[in-house]
Amino acid sequence: MAERCGVVGLGQTKYDRCLPLSLDGLVREAALRALEDAELTFADIDAVVIGKAPDALEGVMMPELSLADALNAVGKPIHRVHTAGSVGASTAISAATLVESGMYETVLTLAYEKQSEGDFMWALSGGRSGGAGAGGSFAPWIREYIKRSGAPPHIGWKVAVKDRLNALKNPYAHLQMEGITIEKVKESPMLWDPLHFFEACPSSDGAAAMVITTVAGAKRTPRPPAWVLAHAKRTEFTVFPGRDPVKPAAGVECAKALYKKAGITDPRRQIDCAELYVPFSWFEPMWLEGHLIADEGDGWKMTDSGATELGGDFPVNMSGGVLSSNAIGASGMVRCLEAANQVRGTAGDYQVDGARVALGHAYGGASNYFAMWIVSSDPNPSFS
Amino acid sequence: MVAMSEFPTSFTLEYPYTRTLGPVIGPFLTALRDGRILGIRCGSRVLCPPLEFDPETGETLSPDFVEVGPMGCVEFWTWIAEPSRKHPFREPFAFAQVKLDGADTAMTHAVKASGPEAMSNGMRVKAQFREERTGAISDVYFVPEADALDMAIEPGEGEVEISTHLISLTFDENLYPSRARYAQGLLDGKFIGQRSPVSGSVSIPGKGYDPMARVLMTEADDVELAPTGTATSFTVITPIQYKGQTETEPYVSASIFLDGSDQPLTMQNIYNIPVDEFREGMRLRAIFKPVAERNVDNVDNSWMIFTTGNVIERWEPTGEPDVPREEFPEQI
Repeated sequence: MAERCGVVGLGQTKYDRCLPLSLDGLVREAALRALEDAELTFADIDAVVIGKAPDALEGVMMPELSLADALNAVGKPIHRVHTAGSVGASTAISAATLVESGMYETVLTLAYEKQSEGDFMWALSGGRSGGAGAGGSFAPWIREYIKRSGAPPHIGWKVAVKDRLNALKNPYAHLQMEGITIEKVKESPMLWDPLHFFEACPSSDGAAAMVITTVAGAKRTPRPPAWVLAHAKRTEFTVFPGRDPVKPAAGVECAKALYKKAGITDPRRQIDCAELYVPFSWFEPMWLEGHLIADEGDGWKMTDSGATELGGDFPVNMSGGVLSSNAIGASGMVRCLEAANQVRGTAGDYQVDGARVALGHAYGGASNYFAMWIVSSDPNPSFS
Repeated sequence: MVAMSEFPTSFTLEYPYTRTLGPVIGPFLTALRDGRILGIRCGSRVLCPPLEFDPETGETLSPDFVEVGPMGCVEFWTWIAEPSRKHPFREPFAFAQVKLDGADTAMTHAVKASGPEAMSNGMRVKAQFREERTGAISDVYFVPEADALDMAIEPGEGEVEISTHLISLTFDENLYPSRARYAQGLLDGKFIGQRSPVSGSVSIPGKGYDPMARVLMTEADDVELAPTGTATSFTVITPIQYKGQTETEPYVSASIFLDGSDQPLTMQNIYNIPVDEFREGMRLRAIFKPVAERNVDNVDNSWMIFTTGNVIERWEPTGEPDVPREEFPEQI
């Protein structure tokens, strides 16, 4: 039986277009904040797990080596994780696994991106012309979702507004769009039909860090831990005959495995809130269905009813989500971190009242990498 | 038949990345531009090149800079007999660990010497500054003390806070045999896919194995597909201008299921059909370019994004009725 582990320290930088910090300074700021939250120092850390999206984004090869000084990881095991856009969540899961295995007691995990130092579109296109970008790649699948589900066009606009309004409550969020409305989203330029400019995530610099430790380790930290009840990762090929990119089998299987491990039988009712990786507005209803929170064809109805708003019965992306801050490598970790933030009761103005169980989720690549975890304020909650 | 010698293809991946230099490397490079070399105090030692964090304790170092050099001592060295285009000199030179006077640590840098016989451990060297300085580590180099010239350096203006690095890599990529046959087919004006001997499903390009049944496929499993198909899904791309992007106007990017295929050709760019006339279900025929104008330079082994090369002149509506949605392939 694996050791139960808990998240005892959370740290983030402000997310912004261009942060005046060196890469070393950036990761260190998030790490120090996580340590401060846990009231620990680098000396208490037994191993470091670091993640980021492809090296081509900043052109720094094997950054885990050059960042060892800034993370005081010299002489300690340092691990690097890479699973495209889902990497931040995969990295958190790798760190949790190291603690659960009994190999290390206290692990610092960190993920980042400094998008201002390179060009995401260039990197995604492999340096060639005609790159459609992530939005252009996902847009046909979004159109297919809309056709299958019969969702009205305003669903995407509604998600874009909701997440930006949530971001106004989160001082770390990159986009602070006072006065954002459905009209403004709808009238923003069409980038990749049906996605408008305001339905897409920004390019951000930023880093996120967490301290994860054992039950014994958690007793030495002052604030309540977020206990990691379950985690799961799944992958599938990017293309193969019969692949459904709208509701990928890997995403369904990942969610099933996750809920089973956590003892969850009715995710909509038994999970209090979720941070889902939604870089383009329509992925909110798509993942609600794709991860079995809503029945097929009903995801958009949850969004439309207001259920996913802060104050709804299943709030999604209380922090403002990827739509408001996207330091790519960090974004998956931020979802896991914000889930922990909720169950620790430390989410400030975007706290969900009484949040006890939360889901953190990320996907990556061509919707073919998935990584998720469930955290709780209770190390052994019972679900009924 | 176009010769197979078209493969492999060579590609240069190149981007001018920037670096935010921060509170230590920024002043260090600003000083280099101005003809001075800075170390940083770290406990009782002076580190040069300076670091943001104490490499032993991990503490943030306060920006307590000390000017070091310009004289220094070679700790050890190696001779670069055949410099590459990325090296600081075209003629042979030495890379050396140079400990500058006043510093307790050495930096790796270039020493311009007449030959390896002019190099030795413990030799004295002096910093020389290039005439054109940009606030980069290459603003400076070292020479044996006897070769040193005195130079007057005009300080530049402002602080160096961000540097730019053109990172460039040219590589040859050999195509997998299945991908090479697909590329050769494109040059010949044919769509070559593979039929799984297990499921019978047809993929294009073929992977050389059935990824679901995990069974190898060979040239015997290749099938030629008709150049006609159905658009099952699309978007309209508004091109974002990044380095190397040549698209400027909105265009359709469609997934097209070739007749008899079970996997779409994704991201087929359509320029000849107005974006507001394009429809899911449209029947299309690939019109190939004249043989002499075809190339597959952008066909690589990628599975995230695979291309149909530069062989298709346009996807032309066949004029057949649209395929109704219920007759689409099971997955789009």
